[in-house]
Amino acid sequence: MALALAAFPALAHHGWSGNTAGEIELSGTVVTGVSLAGAHGAMQIEDADGHVWDITLAPGPRTHRAGLKEGVIPVGAEVTVFGERNENPDVFEAKVRRVVWDDQVFDVYPPQ
Amino acid sequence: MAWLEGSALADFLRGLGIWTYGLLNLGHILGIGSLFGAVLILDLKLMGVWRSIPAAILIRPTVPLAAAGFLLAAASGIMMLSFNTTEYHGNPFIYAKFPIIVVGLANVAVIQRLGAWRRAADGAPAEAGDRTMLAIFGALSLLIWTAVITCGRLIGYW
Repeated sequence: MALALAAFPALAHHGWSGNTAGEIELSGTVVTGVSLAGAHGAMQIEDADGHVWDITLAPGPRTHRAGLKEGVIPVGAEVTVFGERNENPDVFEAKVRRVVWDDQVFDVYPPQ
Repeated sequence: MAWLEGSALADFLRGLGIWTYGLLNLGHILGIGSLFGAVLILDLKLMGVWRSIPAAILIRPTVPLAAAGFLLAAASGIMMLSFNTTEYHGNPFIYAKFPIIVVGLANVAVIQRLGAWRRAADGAPAEAGDRTMLAIFGALSLLIWTAVITCGRLIGYW
């Protein structure tokens, strides 16, 4: 997986300046399902330590096209996300490229 | 700003589908285009460009176009903001943008009360000092609206 992540080049996308604390792989339980309204899709997951993470996805139509539609992943499901963590260690937020649920992989920013 | 995020307007917009935000963004761009395009022509005229064209001829189309563009940009901007208002806490560009918009509107109010402006808009003969006065306010206007657009564009990069 480290190899796969290393293959993601800098994304042609703005708004990542606050997420330069490095790549993370984060597993947790969905507490707020995917919403595709707004500038970006979003969901919330709770990790094993009880921290609720705000997960920022790609813009709505792009996330939808990646198959990650609203309601596809139920609340309570276990998911793993790959992306970049907010640089502020007190802010549990990550902008993610990939969401994995069971055997389903949603690449909202596919590797090039 | 949490009240806006929790408003009925925000709830309504979120329920309209995945393209809503992008289309509001389009409306914002069209509003900015109309506002700034009109402002650019008018302000350059006030600053002394196109001497052969009477000011009144350019004032007539540019002022209502700028006003309509501003209203479209403001309405679409507030709607975009309502989706996730609290996300902008601490964003210096948005904190700078709104006061500068107020200065821009104040500048409009002041300029339209100037004798020099009234004479130019009516096509009446200019008096001594009119040209300098209008040039100063035109340059100020161009500076202000450029600053507003710059702040707006940079919000998403913070």
